Amino acid sequence: MSAAASPAQPARRSRFLALSGTARAAALIGAALVLGLACMAIFAPQLSPYDPAERVGPPFSPPSPVHLLGTNDIGQDILSELIYGARVSLSVGVSAAALSTALGTVVGLLAGYYRRLEHWLMRLADIVLALPFLPLLIVLAAYVGRSLTNTVIIIGLLLWAGTARLIRSQTLALSQREFVLAAATVGCTRGRILRRHIWPHVTFLVISEFLRATTTVILLEVSLSFLGLGDPLQKSWGAMLYWAQARGAFLTPAWAWWVLPPGLSIGAVALGFALIGFALEEIVNPRLRNGNA
Amino acid sequence: MQASGESRGGRFLQYAAVLILAITLNFALPRLMPGNPLALLAGVDVGLLSADERAEIMAAAGLDQPLYKQYVGYWGDLLRGDLGYSYRQKRPIAEMLAQRLPWTLLLAGSALVLSTVLGSVLGALSAWRRASPLDTSLLWSMIGLNSLPSFWLGMLFIAVFAVRLGWLPAQGAVTPAAQLTGGQQALDIVRHAILPVLTLSLLSMPDLYLTVRYTLLDVIGEDFVRTATAKGLARSRILFGHVLPNAAPPIVTMAALRLGYAFGGSVVIETVFSYPGLGRLIFEAVGSRDYPVMQAAFLLFTVAVLLSNILADLLYRRLDPRLGGVHR
Amino acid sequence: MSTHTTRNWLRIALIGFVAAALAACAPASPAASVETAAETTVSEPVQLRIGVMGDESTLTPYTYVTGYPGWNLLLLQYDTLYQTDVDGMAQPWLARGLSVSENGLTVTIDLRDDVSWHDGEPFSAGDVKFTVDYFKAHTQSRFTRALAPVESAEVAGEHQVVLTLTAPTPLFELSVLADVPIMPEHIWANIEDPAAHAFESASNVGTGPYRLVEYRPDQYYRFTANPEYFAGAPAVAEITAIIYADDTGGLTALQTGEADMLARPVLPEQIALLSASRQINLAQGALFTTDMLTYDMTKFPFDRAEVRRAVSLAIDRQELIDTVYLGAATPGSIGWIHPASPFFNEAVVTEYDPDQARALLDEAGIIDSDGDGIREAGGAPLKVEFLTPSGNALRLRTAEVVSEMLRNEIGMDAAVAVVEQATWEDAVWPGFDVAQGRNYDMAMWGWSAPVQANAVRITSLIHSDPAIGSLNLTGYASETADALAEALNVAVDPDEFADLLDQVQVQIATDLPFIMLHYPDGAYAYRADVYDGWAFMAGQGIFHKLSFLPESARP
Repeated sequence: MSAAASPAQPARRSRFLALSGTARAAALIGAALVLGLACMAIFAPQLSPYDPAERVGPPFSPPSPVHLLGTNDIGQDILSELIYGARVSLSVGVSAAALSTALGTVVGLLAGYYRRLEHWLMRLADIVLALPFLPLLIVLAAYVGRSLTNTVIIIGLLLWAGTARLIRSQTLALSQREFVLAAATVGCTRGRILRRHIWPHVTFLVISEFLRATTTVILLEVSLSFLGLGDPLQKSWGAMLYWAQARGAFLTPAWAWWVLPPGLSIGAVALGFALIGFALEEIVNPRLRNGNA
Repeated sequence: MQASGESRGGRFLQYAAVLILAITLNFALPRLMPGNPLALLAGVDVGLLSADERAEIMAAAGLDQPLYKQYVGYWGDLLRGDLGYSYRQKRPIAEMLAQRLPWTLLLAGSALVLSTVLGSVLGALSAWRRASPLDTSLLWSMIGLNSLPSFWLGMLFIAVFAVRLGWLPAQGAVTPAAQLTGGQQALDIVRHAILPVLTLSLLSMPDLYLTVRYTLLDVIGEDFVRTATAKGLARSRILFGHVLPNAAPPIVTMAALRLGYAFGGSVVIETVFSYPGLGRLIFEAVGSRDYPVMQAAFLLFTVAVLLSNILADLLYRRLDPRLGGVHR
Repeated sequence: MSTHTTRNWLRIALIGFVAAALAACAPASPAASVETAAETTVSEPVQLRIGVMGDESTLTPYTYVTGYPGWNLLLLQYDTLYQTDVDGMAQPWLARGLSVSENGLTVTIDLRDDVSWHDGEPFSAGDVKFTVDYFKAHTQSRFTRALAPVESAEVAGEHQVVLTLTAPTPLFELSVLADVPIMPEHIWANIEDPAAHAFESASNVGTGPYRLVEYRPDQYYRFTANPEYFAGAPAVAEITAIIYADDTGGLTALQTGEADMLARPVLPEQIALLSASRQINLAQGALFTTDMLTYDMTKFPFDRAEVRRAVSLAIDRQELIDTVYLGAATPGSIGWIHPASPFFNEAVVTEYDPDQARALLDEAGIIDSDGDGIREAGGAPLKVEFLTPSGNALRLRTAEVVSEMLRNEIGMDAAVAVVEQATWEDAVWPGFDVAQGRNYDMAMWGWSAPVQANAVRITSLIHSDPAIGSLNLTGYASETADALAEALNVAVDPDEFADLLDQVQVQIATDLPFIMLHYPDGAYAYRADVYDGWAFMAGQGIFHKLSFLPESARP
């Protein structure tokens, strides 16, 4: 981006159209996936044919008109489990990602703009980044116990560091820009500058980080559940896979209707967020969409 | 990595800080958690310990002493190489770790190398051939791959390649109790490692691919590259002479940063494939509440990640003496 | 580089990778070679690989970990004076026979004279006396408790030993002589710390059909046959017990041929699949393992008899079995004894009657006064934490279904709390010592087969004194029960014994110190083309030393 760019943002629509074909497709497909799964989560009671906790059929039944995805090992409807599973995965993903992104953004902004704080904040971020993530998560979970709230909090507290580094870089770059320096000269307080001048340009990055974090969290929560460190009695996709594994479904034909759907659903949510994030990256950095030399 | 001039000493201090934090965490957690600290320290119900063992733990941990003295004592033990004793398994922990570490190194190391090389090459190809069918298909496959849960992919591989087709072993690092030597043993190890390494690589690759692609596109878009192209320099010269040298530092940085994730990622893969490494050990220790083992394994993980970060740092310095680097 | 060339390079790389992978798969797996070996000639020594879950440490009487398969692996190396046969009866083994004195307090045992230890030393009465003394001196072993009825042992001859009992003991051969492994005096005499002692080689010296020759922690155990075994050379030349971390791992190993048999019974849903397989056979039968509900009887709500009875009446055991076990289990008898056992008391009837359950609670004044679906007793809601271990899928599902039944039928809130195995053990049976009390509300529990197989052990479930009631996890204290238990413990007369046992069952069915759910069946999977000599021992399955001995050697 040239140094003389104005602080005003171009109209959103033209930004979108300026994207490459790939990015546009990505954004649309991603949005469709995420919205679709969000609807599944919100309207779960209406969409789901049965109460997922109710035993409604013979155990291990293959798909039939009555049970489109068959039943699990104690006769609960798998399709219903799948639909309600969206709730847990999305809520955990979004809340933990929101926590970590918020933390990371605040730290990043402060570090980028207030030079005195930068040193310590970034050291802290580097330290957190250097800890082996999953083992630490497992160790903490072992001590704190298996509850969804705890999981969300712990993940949120560990995941902020990468975001902080990124936001800090961006803030640092922005703070050197002419319009910011001009504002400072005119007498704007630092806080005001942060809020009115720097923050709008950072938003896209924040959103992109939030989406990346959501994907990470969803996959993490699923891994923890599968490992048996989550609550197996919950109706989440990770728990579904845990039971499929525990009852040997991976080695039987049941894998087609018990293993594939939750795995693909998880993949779909993660993919949706990733695609949107990918499109956003192109908006943030137009170099990505220019043809190569 | 660091845009501001970070001295080598500063980096080492930082790593020391991480280590100190991890060790302090290990020290604090059993003492802060509700429950019998003796039980938490031993990882076993107090009733199962003999009076001698109980006395031993009390003395070693100094539970009756003030906290700072306990902390110092804890450090003393570690510096002496005393990683503790597993009361559940009745074995010194250092022995258990020594047995497991090589397998994790093999697994995570191979996967890291494979995914870095493949990811970088494919990412570079993609960036250079932007918007071509190759780029598009690679991009979509990588994004898709990145969205899959690791254990799911692993279990599918087992179901297809091991159980259904019988091509590769389903689990373990070696064929159990088979007295193999030399070449046969090496081959056995390789055969057992293929699926786990493949799974771990496939899952780590997309991240690096996307970063490489992104970084290269960023650099390619820079003015100096346009200048070089306008000047009529051959594409390969531009690529190797200008683009790569500028892109290398952040790529190496990214690879180094991912080391932590690579080791962590091996936890799930080792569990799925019953691979007897550190990751699996942590998981087993959590299940059996064997806290001393869990903590020791976690510490070892931290040390391994720190060492690899140091290594990456050294590499980075060789690649870019400016130390200014390209900030992401 | 044009796109064409790039694509070609990629294609070549892909082909190369696949080729390399295929090449790596070319050599035949060890499983195949063993199977071929077994098929070609009958005289080829049989090498068996068995999948076990969990490490059993160094497999000495002081270090082995679990009742199953640890004790079974232990008894491959050691022998007991009497051996349970496939019908569950104790038969002379290291002993030739015994005679009991009039007052039932002196037991004279004649021993075999053709037995020697693995290192060649002859087996003698001195070893038996030493074993008794050693277990009594070094008490960190469950065999110490098993030997509680024995006061002392004296050598009466090279091959004769006299045991003095503290009290007459019914089923003495089964409960004591078929349980305690005999240890060699010349090895253990100078070992002061049996739990921590490290032997020079892995080979713990015993008299049994197998020697442990190699032990790799968390990986495997290797046993080779003892060709001089007094009962006859074992039919299997070498046994390797491979440690798998979970059921799926073991099953995968069996299917890929990496293991030839699994010590753990297969999950019910695998039975249909494995029956259809040509290479894998199943041996099925009833087992004496139990699934039951235990709870703290010293506090609300399980201190109220009506609550316990209502819970028992509210559980549809057959539906539980059909749902979780796919029918592969026997409904529990609330009197504890298995319906197939000769000691079963027909008068004890286990009912499913939710109406009666609700009536019982209504009469006791435990009703739902605030309409939230959960009953209260004087303001305190009928709510407990229902502990279940995380590693056991079937118990977890059982807990889930039971919890649902209790909520729907009698308005009891028994929310399932999934905890680690270690946490579960620590809460229900802290230190494996009932004298330490308990800290839980209600839990899924179960005892391994030997507890049921030996009918006398029912007393340890109900007596209030921790020394006698060592398995009384619920804090049950009843004078009638104590009296019955004490009487049963010394009832050597078979009729008196059977009669007292009937009464004990009725007592348990009435007071409900625990609630029996079911006895799961056992289906054991093995590859018949590797070894087919398995014998199903009543209530205990196929993994025991008799399965490895030729037919002629079995009692």
